[in-house]
Amino acid sequence: MEIPILSIVTFLPLAGALLFIFINRDKENLLRYLALFISIITFIVSLYLYFNFNAQTPDPQFVEKGPWIGYGINYHVGIDGISLYLVLLTTFLMPIVILSSWTYIQNRVKEYLIFMFLLQTGIIGVFVALNLFLFYVFWEAMLIPMYFLIGIWGGKRKIYATVKFVLFTMLGSLLMLVAIFYMYNLFYKATGTYSLNIFDYYRMILNPNVQVWLFLAFGLAFAIKVPMFPFHTWLPDAHVEAPTAGSVVLAAVLLKMGTYGFLRFAFPMFPDALQKFLPVLGVLCIIGIIYGGLMALIQKDVKSLVAYSSVSHMGLIMLAIFALNLEGIEGGIYQMLNHGLSTGALFLCVGILYERSHTRLIKDFGGVSKQMPIFSAFFLVCMLSSVGLPGLNGFVGEILCLFGVFKANKVLAILGVTTVILAAAYLLWMFQRVMQGPITNDKVRSFKDLNLREIAYLTPIVILMFWMGIYPQTFLRKMDVSVSNLVNQVNRKEAIFTEAKKENKPPVNMHVLTENEKDKDPIAKEDKESQ
Amino acid sequence: MNTFYALFPLLIIVAASLLVMILEVFFKREDRSYLAYLSLLFLIASAAACVKFWNKGYSYFDGNLSLSNLSLFFCSILIVATFLVILISMKYLTLHSANYGEYYALLLFALSGMIIMVSSSDLIVIFLGLEVLSLSSYALAGLRREDEKSNEAAIKYFLLGSFASAFLVFGIAFLYGATQATAIPSIIEGLKTGSSIGTLGLVGLGLVVIGFGFKVAVVPFHMWTPDVYQGAPTPITAFFSVGPKAVGFAVLLRIFIPYFQDALESQLLFGLLWIIAAITMIAGNLIALRQTNVKRILAYSSIAHAGYLMVAILAKDILGLVFYLTAYLFMNIGAFAAVIALGKKDHEYLELEDYRGIGFRYPWIGATFAVFLISLAGFPPTGGFLAKFYVFSAAVRQGLVSLVIIGVLASLVSVFYYLRIIIYMYMREPAYEVDINYDNPSLFLALFLCLYGVLQLGIFPGNILVLIRQAVAALPFL
Repeated sequence: MEIPILSIVTFLPLAGALLFIFINRDKENLLRYLALFISIITFIVSLYLYFNFNAQTPDPQFVEKGPWIGYGINYHVGIDGISLYLVLLTTFLMPIVILSSWTYIQNRVKEYLIFMFLLQTGIIGVFVALNLFLFYVFWEAMLIPMYFLIGIWGGKRKIYATVKFVLFTMLGSLLMLVAIFYMYNLFYKATGTYSLNIFDYYRMILNPNVQVWLFLAFGLAFAIKVPMFPFHTWLPDAHVEAPTAGSVVLAAVLLKMGTYGFLRFAFPMFPDALQKFLPVLGVLCIIGIIYGGLMALIQKDVKSLVAYSSVSHMGLIMLAIFALNLEGIEGGIYQMLNHGLSTGALFLCVGILYERSHTRLIKDFGGVSKQMPIFSAFFLVCMLSSVGLPGLNGFVGEILCLFGVFKANKVLAILGVTTVILAAAYLLWMFQRVMQGPITNDKVRSFKDLNLREIAYLTPIVILMFWMGIYPQTFLRKMDVSVSNLVNQVNRKEAIFTEAKKENKPPVNMHVLTENEKDKDPIAKEDKESQ
Repeated sequence: MNTFYALFPLLIIVAASLLVMILEVFFKREDRSYLAYLSLLFLIASAAACVKFWNKGYSYFDGNLSLSNLSLFFCSILIVATFLVILISMKYLTLHSANYGEYYALLLFALSGMIIMVSSSDLIVIFLGLEVLSLSSYALAGLRREDEKSNEAAIKYFLLGSFASAFLVFGIAFLYGATQATAIPSIIEGLKTGSSIGTLGLVGLGLVVIGFGFKVAVVPFHMWTPDVYQGAPTPITAFFSVGPKAVGFAVLLRIFIPYFQDALESQLLFGLLWIIAAITMIAGNLIALRQTNVKRILAYSSIAHAGYLMVAILAKDILGLVFYLTAYLFMNIGAFAAVIALGKKDHEYLELEDYRGIGFRYPWIGATFAVFLISLAGFPPTGGFLAKFYVFSAAVRQGLVSLVIIGVLASLVSVFYYLRIIIYMYMREPAYEVDINYDNPSLFLALFLCLYGVLQLGIFPGNILVLIRQAVAALPFL
């Protein structure tokens, strides 16, 4: 029997959470060490995925399939070159965030760690699920632990932030749920069998008019999660109010669920609608890039500065993905990982400062590097990685992204470059005001430099930043096949539609669906059936 | 098969209630928990009879009382509901000095009425059952005799309930006039074949909708709900929010799902129910936003859930409806059980303000309550999510996309007020001490059973779904 390695990676944290329920809350150190241990074990197990991943095939690997509820609702997981790294990113960051909250979280340690583990299971589940129902379950279930993490351990406006976060995300995902029902039903009508398997849905060629609505429903859910302008307003609130570890997970992994959703669902299922919306989406990305950057420039709070930089960076990632070519999408995925590392690291750095000063306002700092030389070095690397300095990971990703965009649309590429310029401006300026110059605030003089624990969790990130910047092949080659498969898939379907339009006849579909009058109008269809 | 056995589940309950009444007279004791244990025992016996008769298709009284699988399933969930309600009331009654022996008798009478309703397909018999249920309910609502609110609840329930019953009888009379029948299948047959007078039939069905609309609390027949729910003793509120709703929908299902199979004549009523479903979901959830009393929040939430259940009727989705009711049973009684758990002698904590910091002070109660609320809000992996999933996906299959969009947006609103309770429990610092009575094993058993039910239905619902499919497959009228 094969070892269900993906299920182990997904549910090991959940098992940890269940175990924690039965441990006395007063044994805080035991809980912390155990949590660290479990998260490291999860990471090590997930490394097995990397080393045994076959880069030659676009098919999902480590597939596990089993009956669950029936009628299309099955347990079906697997990973390909796109989801592999997102799973790894999640498992990699979890020990780091647990270490980072070692002393930061003093209250209710037990519940905190339980929610962290539940969150991890939810996130990994989203990336590995190949059944839409399973995907949706993880997608929604993950909201609950995040809701508690922000709401209990957050800052002053935590309740506002957490409710806003949940309601925004729910709005999108509920409409996506309706779209899932609709497709579930279409598939049943066309084939007579129930399925929620996404590969079955890839084979579906949908009526363009239906596609528009479905794309809007899916797209809204993902766009809110990314978040794309103008659905980004929950992000700065959630980031600023969340505890450091929450912000790290939010920025590094949660936002990627949106981009991943576009790649996994919206692109291959609704290619025609995607083409229709590309211009609008491109413009929204550009607005997001510039708006996010400008907002970051004027922030007084370091954390919200980093939060707005996320909006800007995610804009570039989305723009690259919408380029719909190999460079763009690969760059987008690479940049997703980079953004996860660099923004995650920046939040960790902000957290370190906050733990010492209990403030995050830029004006309260100044000259910190004199007191904390080691921290200063780490912070500098993370900041430059986010700016996109050659030799660090951000550069590779951004260059690939911009190549891709340039190939697709030169104007957008030129506008997209502003993300790099703005990033340099707001990050360097922030660094200068916080770390350099004379010490103006006496409090700064009492700052202690990084302790061993803090060095321990920042070091792996920085090593990875250099590695990904200097030798990206390690990572890129494993996603090539999957990404080019995705691009082909979108183009092939697109070709069918153009062909059909040229010959002025409705697109014929050999697999699943036929163009039919009644598919357009649910009401007419209902009448027809009930008669 | 026509056999006397078909009466067993009902007879056991009736026998139990009579026995409880008699015993209460002869054994005057302060602690009446022996009555509760006796009732529980009889409930188990009745449930066992239901299980035993599964797939047997027994009937009696010329088929006026027939135990189809669907009836048996409904009987079972009603028995489970009553079982849980007794568990949560045992300590509550002594704590709130309402420990009257007739409590258990009334509860069992109400259950027997409900069993009659779900196992008959004759409207007259159903009406009989409804009256048995209603009269016991009025008395139960006013159980706390010294409490003004409780009295108000009883009177309100009685007055409006009588109106609703009157509408129902009126409707039955109209239907009889139109089709010369009181049995549901014959009525539907008569209405469909057009051998009846169309308008008369429509008016009749409309009046029946009003009658049952009151029982299941859909807007605009919901006015009584918040006050009655708030005033009645909390275990009884839990009972009201589940029992009458389940039977109401069981009857509506028998009437309207076969009726809607025929599209031609039913457009008008379909539209009417569509509107009722939509405004119930919207109004129930929106009004709940403004409430600060937890019982009232749960009252409006139960109104909103009636709206979702109405969607299931419109979608002709029996499976979804039955599954929804099953999940709803566990999560709603669970939620009320958690509310009861936060109580002490002569005092209940019902205002949102009381819930500050409860989650950390009483981690187990807080956590289970949170799970029930999350399930009511429809988050996976709980029963509440799967229930909504089934109902809404069936509705989309029937082309009711706009209704489903209204439904999901309404449930987005509901997320806000369910989470609001959680916010108070976990994210606000307590302002004052909240002492509770911890010595309440039966209540914690009920909490645990509900928690188990919610999670089982959400994660591994396989067995229950198989049972429901069997129940639906053997329907006499489809």
